[in-house]
Amino acid sequence: MASVAEFFSRLSLSDMAVGLFFIGLYGAMTQRNIIKTIMSVGIMDAAAIVFFVMINFEPGHRSPVAGTPADQMADPIPQALMITAIVIGVSVVAMCLAMYMRVVFRYKTADWNTLIRRLGD
Amino acid sequence: MNGPIIPLHVLVLLPVLTGAAAYVLPRRAYQGVMLTGSIAAAAFALQLFISVRWGSDAVQYVAGWPEVIAIQLTADTYSAPLVLLTALFFSCTFLFSTMAGYMDKTFMFLFLMLESALFAIFLSGDLFNIYVAMELAMITIAILIMYKQEKQAVYDAMLYIMMNFIAMAFFMLGIAYIYRLTGVLDLQVISRRLAELEDPRAAVVPYAMIMTAVAVKSALLPLFSWLPRAHGAPSAPGIISAVLSGVQVKAGVYLLVRLHQVFAPVADTRLFFLILGFLTAAAGFLLAIAQKDIKLILAYHTISQVGLIVMGLNLGTEEAFWGGMYHMINHALFKGLLFLSAGVIIEDYGTRSYAEIRGVFTRMPVIGIATIAGVLGITGAPFFNGSISKYFIQLGAQGSLGELGLYLINFGTILSFVKYSTILFGTPETEPKPSRDPFVAGISLVFGAAILAGGIFGSQAVALIYGPSYSAAGALSGEKILIFAATLALGIAVYRFGVQRIGDFLAAVRGFKFSFNQITVFISLFFVLLLGFSYASV
Repeated sequence: MASVAEFFSRLSLSDMAVGLFFIGLYGAMTQRNIIKTIMSVGIMDAAAIVFFVMINFEPGHRSPVAGTPADQMADPIPQALMITAIVIGVSVVAMCLAMYMRVVFRYKTADWNTLIRRLGD
Repeated sequence: MNGPIIPLHVLVLLPVLTGAAAYVLPRRAYQGVMLTGSIAAAAFALQLFISVRWGSDAVQYVAGWPEVIAIQLTADTYSAPLVLLTALFFSCTFLFSTMAGYMDKTFMFLFLMLESALFAIFLSGDLFNIYVAMELAMITIAILIMYKQEKQAVYDAMLYIMMNFIAMAFFMLGIAYIYRLTGVLDLQVISRRLAELEDPRAAVVPYAMIMTAVAVKSALLPLFSWLPRAHGAPSAPGIISAVLSGVQVKAGVYLLVRLHQVFAPVADTRLFFLILGFLTAAAGFLLAIAQKDIKLILAYHTISQVGLIVMGLNLGTEEAFWGGMYHMINHALFKGLLFLSAGVIIEDYGTRSYAEIRGVFTRMPVIGIATIAGVLGITGAPFFNGSISKYFIQLGAQGSLGELGLYLINFGTILSFVKYSTILFGTPETEPKPSRDPFVAGISLVFGAAILAGGIFGSQAVALIYGPSYSAAGALSGEKILIFAATLALGIAVYRFGVQRIGDFLAAVRGFKFSFNQITVFISLFFVLLLGFSYASV
């Protein structure tokens, strides 16, 4: 058990983000509930964002705003880009949820497989 | 020739800003304003194309920042023709449907927004910018295909958006790896820095991630489940299907070409994509033959044609490459025309089943002629544009196993369009209605004429659009015409005596659908396969 704990303690945040990405992918592959798959896809998106933000980060870095000395500044590009990505992610997930509500009202099911069967009728 | 007269970012923003401005105007005015905006964009795109083709590439660093830091927009030999195609295509389809009932304010605004997003994809020279433009296009398309909210439209749109969202998550993780590795997002600089890497294997994982996303966008073999749903969606109006099949899929294929060049120092996966292109083409026409819904026949057929284009691009010879590039434009023309005319036919007959539609020729002569032109173009009949690009691809494949594959694909194309053409003949059940819309007829004939002109002046068209000139005389040789006639006869015979007798089997194929979970498994499998292949190729 000690070695497992040691293994996890050595992981960086970036490594965990990659792990999270594949956990999300696993969820999207296995869950039949539509809400759970939307959550899984949202997790994948969030994991990619975390990974991106952690690029070039070192302990002690501060936010890249005016007044921070250049050598203590975190890389500003990932931060600027990820604000955009977060907004996009939120809107796509919101849209998925809105569509999900329509589908549930019409077909009375939250299960992908049942849904496919009911489409044919 | 001095560069483009308007900056590239203005061209990108023009359609969406006109749309937004026109949104506040009353009904009479806004359609005119939006149409003007679209046509103006087409005019600027034409000027841009001319300045790139006979001048030099237009490269622009947004907001005056230096290279590497700035977001870069580039119009070059690959992107300028596609921008022009997109602009003309949107203007024409807009004109085509000015009198249609679904053309309300929001719809037109979204339509122009899609135009802007596609411009942005074609012109961006920056990975993250491409990501944002692709997400924008994805959201817009999802709303457009469920616009009328009929039948299973919402399900189609939901499957489309979730599948593509997974692809885009892969894409973003890939971008992140690339940024960590090279410290830039600019495509050209990335390419330079990748070549300097000590161990190119480090870039294989992000390469596989980005390519998986692009393969989903361009609907390659196991990942095409979204395409028939989006393009053939019962509720999507004809012009949306036309635009999606004509131009939007090409954005995926274009990125495939672009990113292959960027990642050339990392991995050589041409063989992988060649085989995949063939399988995609074969699966596409097999599924197309099984369909009953005329729009689904066309939608599955788009998959088949994308497979053919990807084959051409990856055969490794120059003729085949430019043949593939030319086929991208040709496919936009004939598939656009076929989808537009299919939209009119469906509206007029009130059904989508090929068995119930009869006698289009007698009932709607212009649409009938347009359909014939489209069918002749897509099957590669002599004198039509499909024959030229297919001839070039075949020329590039000469002597290899690929050539056999091309014959097979062509046979499949003809077979599925023999089925599609049955709607043209016979006697219609009801009296013909008087034709009412001059734009429908006019635009159909313009597309038809372009298909014919692209065939008669085939070799000149390639030289005009892209530059390299090859002789297309072989496409009109007696041998080629004989082969076409023989394949056509074989296609009709096989349809009559083979396809019509295996109805049960076709029904089973038609009824088979993949669930979302299975689609995700396919995406993961594709990623793993591509990763393995790229590692082996380094």
